[in-house]
Amino acid sequence: MALTDIEYQALEDIVGPENISREPAILDTYDQCWGHKAVFDQKFSTRPAAVLLPGSSEECQAIVKACNRYRILFKPFSSGFEIVAFALANERGILLDLKRMDRILEIDVENMHAVVEPYVNIYRLQREAMKHGLVMGSIGAGPSGGVIAGSCCHFGGGTTMVSTGGLGRSVLGVEWVLPTGDVLSMGTAESEMGWFTADGPGPSLRGVLRGRSGSNGGSGIITKASVKLYPWYGPPDIKFTAAPGVPPSGKRISEVPPNYKAMIIMFPSQSAMFEALINIGKAEIASALMGALVFPYGEGNDEQWAVIQQMAAAGISFTQVASQGVALILGSDTQRGLEYKEKCLMEIAGQMGGGPVPIPPSDQAGLFAAAMLHFGFVTAAFRRTGDFFVSPTSDGSPDFMLNLRKNAEQMLKPYMEKGLFQQLGIPEMFVMPGENNSIGFHEENVSFYDPWDPDSLDALRDMVHKSEDPNGQFRSYGVPHLGGGLQIEWVSHVHQNFGPIYDNYDKWMRSIKGMLDPNGVGDWSAYIPAIFP
Amino acid sequence: MALKDFEHDMQRCSRCSYCKWIPFENQQNMDFIKGCPSAARYNFHAYAASGKWNMSYAFLNERIDHSDAFQDAVYRCMMDGCCDVSCKTVQDIEPLQLMYELRKKFVEDGQILPEHMLTIDGLKKEDNMMQGKKVDRGKWAKGIKVKDLTKEKAKVAFHAGCRYSYDEELWPIVRGALQILIDAGVDVGIWGKDEVCCGGRAESMGFAGELTKYADHTLEALKAAGVETLVNPCSDCYQCYKVEYDKIGKKPPVEVLHITEYLHRLIQDGTIKLTKQVPLTVTYHDPCHLGRLAEPWVHWEGKEVKVMGQMICHEPPKQFRRGARGVYDIPREVIKSIPGVRLVEMYRNRESAWCCGAGGGVKDAYPEFANWTAGERIREAKAVGAKALVSACGWCRRNFMDAMEDGAARIEVYDIIELVQKAM
Repeated sequence: MALTDIEYQALEDIVGPENISREPAILDTYDQCWGHKAVFDQKFSTRPAAVLLPGSSEECQAIVKACNRYRILFKPFSSGFEIVAFALANERGILLDLKRMDRILEIDVENMHAVVEPYVNIYRLQREAMKHGLVMGSIGAGPSGGVIAGSCCHFGGGTTMVSTGGLGRSVLGVEWVLPTGDVLSMGTAESEMGWFTADGPGPSLRGVLRGRSGSNGGSGIITKASVKLYPWYGPPDIKFTAAPGVPPSGKRISEVPPNYKAMIIMFPSQSAMFEALINIGKAEIASALMGALVFPYGEGNDEQWAVIQQMAAAGISFTQVASQGVALILGSDTQRGLEYKEKCLMEIAGQMGGGPVPIPPSDQAGLFAAAMLHFGFVTAAFRRTGDFFVSPTSDGSPDFMLNLRKNAEQMLKPYMEKGLFQQLGIPEMFVMPGENNSIGFHEENVSFYDPWDPDSLDALRDMVHKSEDPNGQFRSYGVPHLGGGLQIEWVSHVHQNFGPIYDNYDKWMRSIKGMLDPNGVGDWSAYIPAIFP
Repeated sequence: MALKDFEHDMQRCSRCSYCKWIPFENQQNMDFIKGCPSAARYNFHAYAASGKWNMSYAFLNERIDHSDAFQDAVYRCMMDGCCDVSCKTVQDIEPLQLMYELRKKFVEDGQILPEHMLTIDGLKKEDNMMQGKKVDRGKWAKGIKVKDLTKEKAKVAFHAGCRYSYDEELWPIVRGALQILIDAGVDVGIWGKDEVCCGGRAESMGFAGELTKYADHTLEALKAAGVETLVNPCSDCYQCYKVEYDKIGKKPPVEVLHITEYLHRLIQDGTIKLTKQVPLTVTYHDPCHLGRLAEPWVHWEGKEVKVMGQMICHEPPKQFRRGARGVYDIPREVIKSIPGVRLVEMYRNRESAWCCGAGGGVKDAYPEFANWTAGERIREAKAVGAKALVSACGWCRRNFMDAMEDGAARIEVYDIIELVQKAM
């Protein structure tokens, strides 16, 4: 449903004619994203009624107020690199592309945090923070993902979670344009004391802001956020190099920085590996940790396939590494500290019957870039088969995660054996302890499928139905990971379905949504509506 | 190829937005990480390569039709290929080739910019992209004693190109280049007023037929003159002869060189001696057509196959052009061989170079945007402490000069040929 000319003019008056469009050609670049074929059965989601490019918090606020006045649905996003970034619950909805809000406002070295606007991407902040001996804990979306999107708005995990905590835990304050158009500053920012804590003396509301899986643009606009920074033991600058003629995808950091080590530890069994993950967390020695997601990367799929065949010829079992291997980065500000951590790790590995896998130095550097900066993750997710999906997934205790993993293997294997997902022997797993295990584990089991292959697509949907059926065989999996995203997926009203199993959490979410957004103008398609239509 | 042949690639754009930046692996200074001038200047996603995939897919699915907005996003693009390099760090798809196809489709459908039509009318009538008269084409070489390839045979053909032939301010560069070759004893000739356009810039505007026409003409002219090596001071022409002709199955049966490659040979074998001091801190701007776009064309015929169940591969394996095998080192070696010159690199260099702004018909249709883009490059050159910006293409040279006329920061601008001349 199109906006009236009066409504459109009201919005145009806020951002100027060059920063708004309702041209179909422009709009159709805001309704296509990965994952859409599985969700909408086509690459297109709902075409927005208009797209706006606000340039300031004030403009965002004015837009939201206009949306309340005219009852227009709105949804903001930063990079838009997210399965549900553009989905709208109806066609009378507008999208706010926050690309013009791209400033790093502050890097507070002493208090170890940075204040950024929505379009600052992860890699840019990482590189600026490194100059000051700092680094952020980011989502595994790769370098182009938004700092605010990953920290404040979406579900996900990152390889440095062991040392940098879960994504939402790094948020130290936000400037938040609520769905009413009011502006809320959280934590110390409210008291104009700086942005160093989200928990007072102003209101905290961190859980309301994000919860477990984020509101995906459904509860207003985060126009500024402060994120915690952590120690970086590497040089202030990093450089990727390669021999002449090698394209950027073949470039590697020339070496692992001296105060870091990149390693893969193999264990005799998966339970031994999980036990080791617990102990590594307890020992507080890892900068980055993931078990195992160790897939070789080439310049393109053909080159990658050649590497895989070479590995097979050399008798290297990718399946075993993926199943029982842990990739990790140790780091310290001193060589002595690094030696201590390595000694500790070897002790823990030895106790579990594990040991290091020899890796050539160039591959160590590649592993370092992947684990610390998520290089290779976008390739891993999209180039191989065209798309990926993460299910089952959950956060919880190590034992729960081990059971989840076993069930995931049982569930996904038949699809792989039939060649409907990429045949990896076993599913790739993305598992890591958060904050040295003090907040439990995060686990994602990944399927790589081709959304444009009807059989592969059907298989994916079949798998998700089974995995995310609250009354099905695997109901112990917990709430599906995309949370509100599933409001519009083929498993509809997921929170309604899962709520009764988990303390009626959906009612709390709906109450919060109703309180923050009395007019229901914040798009709920990837979150939750106050009242289900 | 037709637009429909790219449907697979359209479907697979994940919207990672890598196309908006130079490759993350190549990012050095965070103030200079944008790669696509169009996306940087116009903000809407439609102006990035990913947006072109999206619009093309919507067009194929008849969700959108031709419109001013569609046209604007498609033509405000320099066809510089930075997006292509960045995209291919994570995907096996072909953004730049889609753009060629998209523009071809626009022309077929009559969706042509008036400014482009003016240029193409001139091309059809006078065989050049500068709206100059054919009879004036050889004036740049007046007074130089050189073989006339329409009457004599020579081992080396020197093709001046449209820009150098008609831009009088640039004549000293192209005259200097030719004189260096003559003085070095090279058996060289020119076509003079009978030289014609290579067709490359017309192709980039969507007029693919012009490329074929001029390719046929050029192959005949080369054969008739007994040429063994075709030397180009213009990077656009060089890329066109080397890559675009090969792409359409009309690879010239001669060695195609850029002038910097030929000068490099002469310096290496001692024929040219650079002895005079040129005390200058310079930075080198990689012309898109000498750099990433000059990577040799790779012919591939085969089919997509699935391995490991669903992993998308090719039979036979397909080598994608990822931009790293352009001409990067030779121009730098020529510069470094000049006594007194200190070469400093810009943050975006080689396959990540920011375009000068002159390509893809942008200079013809959107001069303000072309100048803005050049201004951004000058800003970068100054940020690395360069006193002079050196390029190897007449189009870059002209656009930097125009940008400064239009208010961009001032910097000395040279072609490599000029620096070599200073040192001789």
